[in-house]
Amino acid sequence: MIINHPLLGPRDASEFAYLGDVGIIDRPTDWQADDSIKNFVEYGYLRDNPAGDHKELWYHEQGDRSWLVVTRNTLTHEISSVEMARDVARSRGRGK
Amino acid sequence: MTREFRVNGGLVDRSKTLGFTFNGKAMKGHPGDTLASALIANGQKLVGRSFKYHRPRGVFTAGSEEPNALVELRDGAFTEPNTRATVTELFEGLSARSQNHRGSLEFDILSINDMLHPFLSAGFYYKTFMWPKTFWEKVYEPFIRSAAGLGRLSMQEDPDCYDKGFIHCDVLVIGAGPAGLVAARAAAESGARVVVADEDFLPGGRLNAETMEIDGSPGHAWAATAAAELASMQNVRFMNRTTVYGAYDHGIYGALERSRDHIGDSGGKPRQILWRIYSKRAVLAAGAMERPIAFGNNDRPGIMLAGAVRAYVNRFGAAPGKKVAVFTNNDDGWRTAADLAASGIDVAAVIDVKNSGHAADIPGARHIPNGKVVDTSGRKCLKSITLNTGEKIRVDCLAVSGGWNPNLHLTCHQRGRPQWNDELSAFVPGVELPAGMAVAGAARGKMTLASALADGNDAAVSQLESLGFSISAPDIPKAEDEPVNCTPFWHVGESSSRSWIDLQNDVTVKDVKLANSEGFRSVELLKRYTTLGMATDQGKTSNMAGLAILAEARGSSIPEVGTTIFRPPYTPVALGAFAGRSRGRHFRPYRLAPSHEWAKSNGAGFVTVGGWMRAQWYVQSGENGWRDSVDRETLATRNSVGICDVSTLGKIDIKGGDVGAFLDKVYSNTFSTLPVGKVRYGLMLREDGICYDDGTTARMGENHYVMTTTTANAVLVFRNLEFARQCLWPDMDVHLISITDGWAQFSVAGPNSRNLLKKVIDPDYGVSNESFPFMACGKVTVCGGVPARLFRISFSGELAYEIAVPSRYGNSMMAALMEAGREFDAIPYGTEALGVMRIEKGHVTGNELNGQTTALNIGLGKMAGVKKDYIGNVLSRRPVMVSEDAIRLMGFRPVDRSRELVAGSHFIAMGDPVDMKNDQGWMTSVAWSPHLGHSIGLGFIKRGHERKGEIVRAVSPIHGMEMDVEIVSAHFIDPQGERLRD
Amino acid sequence: MTELSLFSTPPLDGYDKSTGDIRLYSPEALAVVSIALPLGSEDSALAMIASAYGVDLPSPGKSVIATDGARLVRLGLDQAFIIFPHSAPDAEDVVQGKLEDAVYVTDQTDAWTALAIEGSSTRDALERICPIDLHPESFAVDDAARTVMEHLGVLIIRAGDNDFLLLSASSSANSFLHALETSIANAG
Repeated sequence: MIINHPLLGPRDASEFAYLGDVGIIDRPTDWQADDSIKNFVEYGYLRDNPAGDHKELWYHEQGDRSWLVVTRNTLTHEISSVEMARDVARSRGRGK
Repeated sequence: MTREFRVNGGLVDRSKTLGFTFNGKAMKGHPGDTLASALIANGQKLVGRSFKYHRPRGVFTAGSEEPNALVELRDGAFTEPNTRATVTELFEGLSARSQNHRGSLEFDILSINDMLHPFLSAGFYYKTFMWPKTFWEKVYEPFIRSAAGLGRLSMQEDPDCYDKGFIHCDVLVIGAGPAGLVAARAAAESGARVVVADEDFLPGGRLNAETMEIDGSPGHAWAATAAAELASMQNVRFMNRTTVYGAYDHGIYGALERSRDHIGDSGGKPRQILWRIYSKRAVLAAGAMERPIAFGNNDRPGIMLAGAVRAYVNRFGAAPGKKVAVFTNNDDGWRTAADLAASGIDVAAVIDVKNSGHAADIPGARHIPNGKVVDTSGRKCLKSITLNTGEKIRVDCLAVSGGWNPNLHLTCHQRGRPQWNDELSAFVPGVELPAGMAVAGAARGKMTLASALADGNDAAVSQLESLGFSISAPDIPKAEDEPVNCTPFWHVGESSSRSWIDLQNDVTVKDVKLANSEGFRSVELLKRYTTLGMATDQGKTSNMAGLAILAEARGSSIPEVGTTIFRPPYTPVALGAFAGRSRGRHFRPYRLAPSHEWAKSNGAGFVTVGGWMRAQWYVQSGENGWRDSVDRETLATRNSVGICDVSTLGKIDIKGGDVGAFLDKVYSNTFSTLPVGKVRYGLMLREDGICYDDGTTARMGENHYVMTTTTANAVLVFRNLEFARQCLWPDMDVHLISITDGWAQFSVAGPNSRNLLKKVIDPDYGVSNESFPFMACGKVTVCGGVPARLFRISFSGELAYEIAVPSRYGNSMMAALMEAGREFDAIPYGTEALGVMRIEKGHVTGNELNGQTTALNIGLGKMAGVKKDYIGNVLSRRPVMVSEDAIRLMGFRPVDRSRELVAGSHFIAMGDPVDMKNDQGWMTSVAWSPHLGHSIGLGFIKRGHERKGEIVRAVSPIHGMEMDVEIVSAHFIDPQGERLRD
Repeated sequence: MTELSLFSTPPLDGYDKSTGDIRLYSPEALAVVSIALPLGSEDSALAMIASAYGVDLPSPGKSVIATDGARLVRLGLDQAFIIFPHSAPDAEDVVQGKLEDAVYVTDQTDAWTALAIEGSSTRDALERICPIDLHPESFAVDDAARTVMEHLGVLIIRAGDNDFLLLSASSSANSFLHALETSIANAG
C-alpha cells in the first residue's frame, strides 16, 4: 500500500504503523462524570467495522513521526484522503 | 551430438555448443536453448514422473505453465528442485536430474501406484486413511510423508545469495510480446519512465515461436529490434528473465528477476532478485496460454501442446518428434501442422473436431474432420494414437490444441473476476482491474497479431494520457489478422482409459465427475477435493478443462460454475528470494550498547534483548558456570560497587512549555510538580487501566524533561506519546525526540558508588549526600570537561547513580569507571545480576508488567493519582479491577530453604485441589539470592498484602513440581530504603 | 589520583572504502542537532533561524545549506536537523548559542551514525534497500527523507547528483554498514 502523505508525498505503507479507527481521538474529556466509566468503555472498546470507507489513524513512524487520518476503503484499499491528525483532532474539538 | 532431432532455423546460436548432463548422461545444446529444448533436441522424451501415479511424463509446454518437466538443477548444496525445464536457460556445465521417482527414471518402483489407481481416486486420502484410527500416526502418516512431496532439498544451507530491491516508474509493461513491445515503445517515446518486465530471456513472446511477419520482417527480428531500441533508451529499464508474479495495492507489483540463474557460477552476486515495482500505471500484456484436450492416456511423453511443438521447431530448431499428428479444435492447431511441414517434419494427420475443412494444405498430411483421439499407446514414449473410428496411427508426437486462454491472472490479484467470452470460449479480464492497470493484446482476448499490436498501442496511449503525457501519432506496425476460429471442446467422451486434466497433480476427468457426484459441486470445493490446479503450476493448463467438465457434469454453463481465485505468485518464487539477504547474523538488525567493545574484551557473554546485545555476565577465571559469575557480581555490588551499561533503556528528550501538564496526562502520577533537578519514578497505564510501562523521568530544566522507558517498550511508548501530543492534546507545546542511542548510561551501584564517582566527576560538581541527594539529577562534566548527566536513582536497592556521557565515549567511560573503581574492587555486572538485584529489591519488570496487571496489583495503587485526568485513570477504577480479591505483588520464599522456586508456578492454598478454580495467582520471577543464601521469588497472589507469613503451595504441573512457600514482603533487601538515601 | 581521560570512539569512525566507482565513507566529525519550533511561536522561530543561518528553513522533505555551511534539514512541520562539521561534544550549545530560546534544541550527534555514498552507480546500490524514488525528478539535490532500509530508520539526503548522505541509529551502525556494503557488492 502507498499512503500519500500530505507533506511528504506518496510513501510505502511499510514506513507506517497502524492504530485504528479515528474515534480514538475522541477521548472523553469529562473524567469525573457519573457515567465516565461507561463513556471510557465505549471509547476504549467499541468500534464500527465498516465495509467501505473507514477513517483510521496511521503513524509515520519511519518518517516525520506525524499521525495521519487516512480514509481507506476496507473493501478495495482505495485511499480517498489523507489528513494530518493534529488538524483533525483540533477540528474535533481537542486542545490542551 | 545427434542431429536427429535438430531441424534448420531457429534462434539458437549453432556456432557455439554447450555441454550439460541429464541424469548423469552428457548432452549438448546451444546458447538460446532451454533445458527442455535441449532435451528434445537430444531425443530425451521421458523427463520425469508424475506426482501421484508416477506415470512417465515428457515435456508438455514451452513456457512457464509447464506441469510435467520439473527437474532438479545443480549439485550438492546448490541443488534446486522443481525448476521447470521449459524456462531453464541452458548454460555450460548445467547438471539436471529428473525427480519424483524411486530407482531410476526409467524403472520407478513407485509406478506401482499407477496400477493401484482404482483405489487412489479423488479424495482417497480422506476415504482411505480413516481406519483403524491408531494406524494414522504409526503407519499412514510416515508412509504418506515419505511418498509425498515434489523434488528433494539438499538439506544444506543454500550457498547462493539473493537480494531485493525497489523500482519506481510511470508505466510498467508486463510482457515483451507484440502488444507489450508496442505499448512500451509508445510509453517510452512519450518520455515516461518505463519498466518492461518479461519472464523470458529472449524478448518477443510468441513472436519468437511463430513464423508471422511484422512490417515485412520476421516477427522475431522485429521484436529484437524493438527490444534493443527500448533497452537503449535512458527512460526505459528493460528487464529480461523477470516475472511479475503479483499485483498488489496501489500500483505495486512483485517481480522476480532470475539475474544469474543462467550462469553456472553466480560469482557471489545474487542469483535472484525480488523487486518491488512501484508503478503509476501498468499495461498487462502477458499473452495467452494454450489449453489441452483431455482424452484417454493423453499424458504420454510425446504428447504436447500444439503451440509448444511449433515453438520448439521454430524458435529452438528442435523437433519433438519425427512423425507428428495434430489434434485440434481450432484454426491455430493447423499453424503447427503447417510450420512443421515447412521444416521438413513428417505430419501424419491433422485431426480436427470440427467437420468443416481447412484451407491450409499440409503436404503429406491427412485431414481428419470430425476426428477425435480416444486413446494412445507407448509407455515411455508415444507410439501410436487411436481415433474414434478405431484407426491407429503410428506417431511419436501428438500436438494438441484446445484453444487459448488469456493470461489474466494478475487482473484477479485484487479480487477482480474474469468474464466469460463465448466467441473465444475463454475467460477474459473483468471490468474490475487492479488500480492503474490496463490489459492489452492476447491477455485481453485480442488473439490475432494485428489486433494485439493495435491493442498494445491503445492501452499505452490511454494510460499515458491519464498521466498527462503527450503522445505522438501512433505508429502501429502492420501484421496479419490470422484466423483463430475455435470450437469449444474439452474432452473426448468416448475415451474409456483415464483422461488427464491436471498433469502435475494427476487429476482425471473421472475424478472431476466423481467429485461432483459426491457433492463437491462448487468450483472451490472441487479444487480442494481433487487437488485440481493446486500443484506448483496452479493449474495453468488444467483449470479450464476442469471447469468445463464440472459444468457439463452439473448441467450448467462455464460462467455459472465460475473460476477459483487467482492469487500471487503467478509462478513459483523460491523462499530464498523472499528471504533475500535477511539470513544468519543479518536476519534482522542488531544494536550494540556503547560499551560493547569493552564488554567483549572483558569476558562478557551477550543476550539479545529488544534487538540489543546486552552483557549477560562477565566470566572470570575459576568460575564454573554462570551462577558463579552472577553470584559474584551481585555480592560485589552489594558489598562495594558494580557497574552496568544501562544505555538500552529508552530515553526520550521532552521539551516545551506544557511538558509538565503533558506528563501528568500520560503518567499515573504527577510530574508537573517535580522540581528542576529531581527525578521521579513514573508508571504509565493503558487507557484500559492496565500497567503499560514504567521508568524514571528527570526534570533537567523548566521546560526540559528526560524520560526513560523500558528497553522493550521504547518504540511503543514514543509512538503513544506522539499520539497523545498530536491527537489527544494537540495544543500542548510538547516536543519529543529519542536520545536512546545518544547517551552511554552506566549504573554505578553499591556502597562505594559515590566514592568511585567522585574520582570521575570533575571537582566543580558536588556529589555529597547533601548536595546531590537521593532522586537528584543534573548536568556535570567528567574526566576533565566531557559533558555528562548524573541521576541518583537505584534499581538494585543500593546507594546508586546513573551517569551518562555522549555515546561516543561509551567504551572509554566504562574503562575510566573501572579504573577509578580499582581501589574499591569495582566489578562490571550484566543483566543477570541486575535481574537478581531487582528481584531482591522487589522492583517490577516485564514479567510483572505483563499486560494483565494494574497499579493496584503491583503495589503502586497509592502512587497512582485519582485527582487528575490521565490515561487509564477512569477504567482502572472499574469494580472488577479494584475488588478485594485482587492479586497483589508479594515476595515468596521456600519453606524448605534448600529448594529452588520455579517461575510460572501457580499458588494453591494448603489442602485445596490443584485446579483452575483454586488458582490464587502465580510466580512471576525467581532468582537465587546470594545475599540471603536461598531462592526467592516475586509473584501475584490474591489479597497478598493481608497474608504475609501464610504458607501456600506453589505448584507447576508441567514440571511435576510442588512445594510449600511462605508469603513475604516483596522487598527482600533493605525494606525501608535506607541504603538508597545514605 | 590517576588522571582519567575519555576517548571518542564513535561507530564506523574512519570507515572509507571504494568498490568499483562507489565510495562509501564515514564523514568526519559531523554534528547533528535537532531543533523544534515552539507551538504558537513558529514565526518568530523561523525568523530567528533565517537571521542566524542566513537562509530560510525549507519545507518538510527539503534541506538547505546555510551561509556557514551547516545543512538545515526540515523533517516535519515542527522539527528540523542542523548538520554541521563539529567535533567537540557541545554541538547543542553551539546551536543554542545561535538560536537562543527561539527553538528547543537537542543534541542528536551521538544518536546517529552517518555514511556518505558517492559515485555514478550509487543509485544502483541504493535501490536494493531504499524504498524512496531517487530519480532526480522525484528526489532532487538537497531533498531529504526519513525512511526505512533493511528495518533500519534512515535519513537520506541528496547532497549531489550522485552523492547521498545517510544517517541511521548509532547503536545499529554495524547492521547499517552491512546493508550498504551488501547493496554495493550485489549491485556492482
